[in-house]
Amino acid sequence: MAEQHTPQLLRVTIDGIAVQVPPGTLVIEAARQVGVMIPHFCYHPKLEPDANCRMCLVEIEKMPRLQTSCSTRVTDGMVVRSNTSPVVQAARKSVLEFILANHPLDCPVCDQGGRCDLQDFSHEYTPTVSRFTELKRIFPKEYFSPLIETQMNRCVQCLRCVRYCDQVMDVKALAPAGRGTMTEIKHFGHHALDCEFCGGCVQICPVGAITSRLSMYEYRPWMLKRTETICPYCGDGCQFTIQQKNNELIEVNSTYGAGRNRGDLCARGYFGYHASTHPDRLRHPLIRRPDGTFREVPWEEALEVAGERLMGIKQAHGGEAIAGLITSRCTNEELYLFQKLMRVVLGTNKIDCSARYGHVNGIEPLRRVQGAHRWTVTFEDIVAADVLLLVGTNITETNPITGLKVKEAVKRRGARLLTLETLLPVRGSISNITTLSSCHIPVHPLGYGQAVNALVKAMIEQNDVAPQIREQAVEFYRTIESVLRTCSWEDLECDLGVSRYRFFEMARIFREAMRAVVLIGQGVLRASRGADIVTNLLDLLLLAGHHQRPGCGLGVLAEENNDQGAVEMGALASYLPGPVSLSDQAACQAIASLWMEELPQGPSATLPEILNQARVGHVRALYVVGENPLASLPPSFNVQEALERVEVLVCQELFLTETARHAHIVLPACSYAEKDGTFTNTEGLVQPVRRAIDPVGESQPDWAIFSALSVVMGYPIEYGSAKEIFKEIQSVIPRYALLGPAPTPPNVHQDVVDRYLHGDFQVDVTQRYTWPRLSPKSEKRLTLILTQSLFHSGKFSTRAKGLLRVQAEGTLLLNSTEAARWGLQPGGMARLSNERGAVSVKVRVLDRVPEGMAFFPEHFDHDIRILFQAEVDPLTQVPCWKQTSVTVEPQ
Amino acid sequence: MAQYEKILLRNMEQPGYRGSLHEYERTGGYQALRKVLRDLSPAQVIEAVKNSGLRGRGGAGFPTGIKWGFVPKDHPGPKYLCCNADESEPGTFKDRQLMERDPHQLLEGILIACYAIGAPVAYIYIRGEFRLGAKILERAIEEARGAGYIGPRILGTDVGIEVYVHQGAGAYICGEETALLESLEGKRGLPRFKPPFPATHGLYQKPTVVNNVETLCNVPHIVNRGAEWFASIGSPPKSTGTRIFCLSGHVKRPGNYEVPMGVTFRELIFELGGGMRSEKPLKGFIPGGASAPFLTPDHLDVKMDFESVAQAGSMLGSGGVTVMEEGTSMVWAALRLMEFFYHESCGKCTPCREGSSWILQILQRIWAGGGRPGDLELLEDLCKNIEGRTVCAFGDAEVSPVLSTLRYWRDEYEALIHQAEATRTTKGEIPVLTM
Ligand SMILES: Cc1cc2nc3c(=O)[nH]c(=O)nc-3n(C[C@H](O)[C@H](O)[C@H](O)COP(=O)(O)O)c2cc1C
Ligand code: SF4
Ligand code: SF4
Ligand code: SF4
Ligand code: FES
Repeated sequence: MAEQHTPQLLRVTIDGIAVQVPPGTLVIEAARQVGVMIPHFCYHPKLEPDANCRMCLVEIEKMPRLQTSCSTRVTDGMVVRSNTSPVVQAARKSVLEFILANHPLDCPVCDQGGRCDLQDFSHEYTPTVSRFTELKRIFPKEYFSPLIETQMNRCVQCLRCVRYCDQVMDVKALAPAGRGTMTEIKHFGHHALDCEFCGGCVQICPVGAITSRLSMYEYRPWMLKRTETICPYCGDGCQFTIQQKNNELIEVNSTYGAGRNRGDLCARGYFGYHASTHPDRLRHPLIRRPDGTFREVPWEEALEVAGERLMGIKQAHGGEAIAGLITSRCTNEELYLFQKLMRVVLGTNKIDCSARYGHVNGIEPLRRVQGAHRWTVTFEDIVAADVLLLVGTNITETNPITGLKVKEAVKRRGARLLTLETLLPVRGSISNITTLSSCHIPVHPLGYGQAVNALVKAMIEQNDVAPQIREQAVEFYRTIESVLRTCSWEDLECDLGVSRYRFFEMARIFREAMRAVVLIGQGVLRASRGADIVTNLLDLLLLAGHHQRPGCGLGVLAEENNDQGAVEMGALASYLPGPVSLSDQAACQAIASLWMEELPQGPSATLPEILNQARVGHVRALYVVGENPLASLPPSFNVQEALERVEVLVCQELFLTETARHAHIVLPACSYAEKDGTFTNTEGLVQPVRRAIDPVGESQPDWAIFSALSVVMGYPIEYGSAKEIFKEIQSVIPRYALLGPAPTPPNVHQDVVDRYLHGDFQVDVTQRYTWPRLSPKSEKRLTLILTQSLFHSGKFSTRAKGLLRVQAEGTLLLNSTEAARWGLQPGGMARLSNERGAVSVKVRVLDRVPEGMAFFPEHFDHDIRILFQAEVDPLTQVPCWKQTSVTVEPQ
Repeated sequence: MAQYEKILLRNMEQPGYRGSLHEYERTGGYQALRKVLRDLSPAQVIEAVKNSGLRGRGGAGFPTGIKWGFVPKDHPGPKYLCCNADESEPGTFKDRQLMERDPHQLLEGILIACYAIGAPVAYIYIRGEFRLGAKILERAIEEARGAGYIGPRILGTDVGIEVYVHQGAGAYICGEETALLESLEGKRGLPRFKPPFPATHGLYQKPTVVNNVETLCNVPHIVNRGAEWFASIGSPPKSTGTRIFCLSGHVKRPGNYEVPMGVTFRELIFELGGGMRSEKPLKGFIPGGASAPFLTPDHLDVKMDFESVAQAGSMLGSGGVTVMEEGTSMVWAALRLMEFFYHESCGKCTPCREGSSWILQILQRIWAGGGRPGDLELLEDLCKNIEGRTVCAFGDAEVSPVLSTLRYWRDEYEALIHQAEATRTTKGEIPVLTM
């Protein structure tokens, strides 16, 4: 035999072209590989084949009738004829003729025109005159939803939308209704569609039957300019394509298979793009007049005044009197340059970023226990996991795409999901990940510490500790065992309201895993002593012997798009880029010499410390970039006092936020859509952000502003482009030299683990496993919790008109029993009050909220904030304030 | 008139027989189950059914023993048996009688089939309108459970079988085996593409056998009286046993007739059925339910077995024989059938969904006097484009009345079109779709 034949591969000939493919390959995919495009409607590689449209029929030797290539798997020696078969050609013509029979042919007014599969195939296969002269079926137009429009006369009934919503999203919002030609795609219920609005059905519809209402009638595809970039909302870091016309954002979509999201998006990504071009965007630099109003000034003047005043403080009081805050929404280049500017030009180490609101609670333990400050696993590991433990997260609402990976693992690959979460496993219009759980333990928001105690205790007590730990780290597990002995099952059961056997079961499943991934969300990261809980979960991983096993690891879910990057760029108190700890003299020195600069010697300060120091006059100048502490913290935190006290407040912003209103100088910055740079996603992948539209007004990218300011201040650290900055980052942080389409996760550092196991753990083990008893449920009060909503991300998204159509205000969410108990009506108003004040809010019933609690979305916390009291975590300085207790009255 | 031994209808034709457990047992009922549990391995039961030559009575006529043999023996986890009692084929009404009048005969067949394929659970998927049948079966299941024939330890052995009745909701397509499975799973009853077949990926993707009521009713008799006995009835080797033919239409004595396969249509219609109801001669007949192509008086001497009917260009299908006398418009008959198929097309696949409404509209137009030259060629072409290109066999079924009436009675269509042409005053009128 002349030809080499690999035994694992199957030989198939398609239109005379031979190819070898792995077993299980569908004929349509094998054909694609040799460049034979088989027309199709219902097939989509993301979905299970359904073979309903019959467009992909091919001739296969030795098989009767034509076969659907989308559902037939290749066998060895198979001979397929597609374009070379007249019968196949005739069949395609006929299927198109059938589809077109009832199709309205309203291409001139259809948004899909120009990128429609039906249009394309019709041009290829059908004559211009139809044999159909009967009456066309017509569906009356019906209102569908505020964001998604249906035009069922155009539908080809391929069910891709329905299957996507079920198989990928697990939302099941859509279904075919009616029979035969009268089949149309509908949603459930006698109200507008209420779903996750991921836009997936719009994206996957091969024709114009489901379209976006945000861009209706505004374009033809060929008029649009496309830019591949990264979503600015959450840490998942989805890749998408911004499409603009005359500098106006028209549409966002994501190509199949693109990015870590593989072409899937959530509502924020798909429908949230208008935030960037909101009419309230700052268009000019502003300087505050003595009467508190602002005047527009040219850039030169603004920079000069800002530079002069900051320098003035430095000269009079030293760099320590200056502090900087930056949002993790900035690009890596900007975060990097900001901290460099603050250190090198202004001489201060007092820099912090929004990772302080929670992400840092995950990073510190990872560094301490594993020596890696980022995920040691990837999205692929989530999909391949056999056991997933989710703690403190309804993952869909904060990190929807990471959530899709979890859903894929559970639904398609049979992974077992374990959840410790406040939500009850009740299905609703938005995914509730606990409904997929094989073992769910409901946890009070204050109870995560105890719940993890119980899990660790269960693992130790039922001898599930891995042999290597039992043999080589006796001290470690014995100590934890003895500390946990003081925490009795009776107390745990009483406080958590769950039998110990549930924990035994969960521990057993976790222990037996071959590939276990733990994901930790905001419920833990923002909790008081969140870092302790994360450390204890890392202990669990160690005890189970999973820490070194491939595919096992713990991931901290980044809420903001670049939380991880901000930490690695050194925009976090006590860290230099790397992150290198300020206490690591040698490493600091290395950076200093790369920079060829002296590093400031003064202390660093965290966000709460900076605000405290401002309040007492130690910090006299504050440079705030995109951060809005006044709106991010409750009034009891006295941010206002701090802002009013400082002598210089420079704010660099997209909008005139609450904080910016107090600024002396306001510098208009560009949004992600107007600049180049990189973001680092939750799993640590560095991805390019690309400029899609021109800057709004006179706004400038943050990095360009820093660069210009340094020049004005007489200490130029100049860069011509974000790329130049990135090059420098690569020289400072070796990991950033490794770029690619997938992350290269770091290994667990065995020496760090050993140090931890054989001593370091001791430092705080007793304290870490000691948790106060939960106070019994109060009959008279309700626990009020600020939560995240799928439709928003921070406050940025509340400027996106699309998202506001789905959620424009905060409502108090509680279950029906609880609503009845307080006499509240769905849609009615409730008055919430406590020692700190009273507010009125609208009520909505949501049965997944447990008894004794009510949720409120933090994105709309403007008025409700007064009810909360912040408490700063002594260890990691995270301000914890997302819950309070209130009394409730109907209004 | 020849007298044939009844097998399936024997009990119920005894005067006073009401189908209770007691009566069924008195006629030798459940002896086959006892024998199977006592003496036969599952493989031996399958072997016997194979040797009997029994073929499915639901429509496709697939050899039952071979179907059972496809079920993987050592599959871990559950397997299922589904009894197809959705009987919705126009002109077919045998399963209903079997269930209502002798439910234990079916249950015994189900239990033996379950034993043979190793299924601990059987579902009887019964047509929604058969409320009485469902009630009777429920009662029979309770009786059988009480007597130890159904339950976790049947007759003291360690074989456990549960039987459940599941009522459909009125869609013809749910009689198609994979749509039936979807419906049982609680989903919309849409056929699945095959392969994979239910034998390996059936209910909940587990190995599953789907068998028609009449098919399963034969099983206890094969066990009791032996495969050779069964194989000797009818037209061996390919068409063994009896069949219950449902005779309807313009005959004197419509009804269910159980005869050995291989009797002629003439005998069924003119002897058993008593001939045409009025003095008009026979014009044509459907030999096997609405899905089977029409035959003509020329086919009266065709033997009613699988091969002979196939050779004549039609099929035995569900056993529903509908007779039409001279004077019946075959265009109208095709139109009526097409209305049924249009109404029942599930809409999953393009050719069937769109084709059924298109064809129906053309037939309606022709019948209403709006026919045009070229319509018949178009009809034939559309039918050709549906046949063999759909997900399930419904597509083949829906074109058969049109194609076969066009084949034998094309002149009737042509006459209507000529008439329309002659009387047409305004061209291009808009036909009206009424349904
Ligand atoms: C459209 C359609 C409808 C059908 N309806 C029925 C039915 O009502 N009852 C039935 O037993 N089989 C029906 N069948 C046949 C079944 O798909 C299947 O072949 C049969 O239940 C197998 O059982 P058997 O081998 O015992 O005949 C139908 C098939 C098609 C394509
Ligand atoms: S937008 Fe997403 S969740 Fe909503 S119906 Fe479409 S696919 Fe389902
Ligand atoms: S709406 Fe689009 S995706 Fe959904 S079935 Fe119709 S054509 Fe297919
Ligand atoms: S052939 Fe008809 S009934 Fe069968 S799956 Fe297709 S549309 Fe449904
Ligand atoms: S693409 Fe194969 S049947 Fe639709």
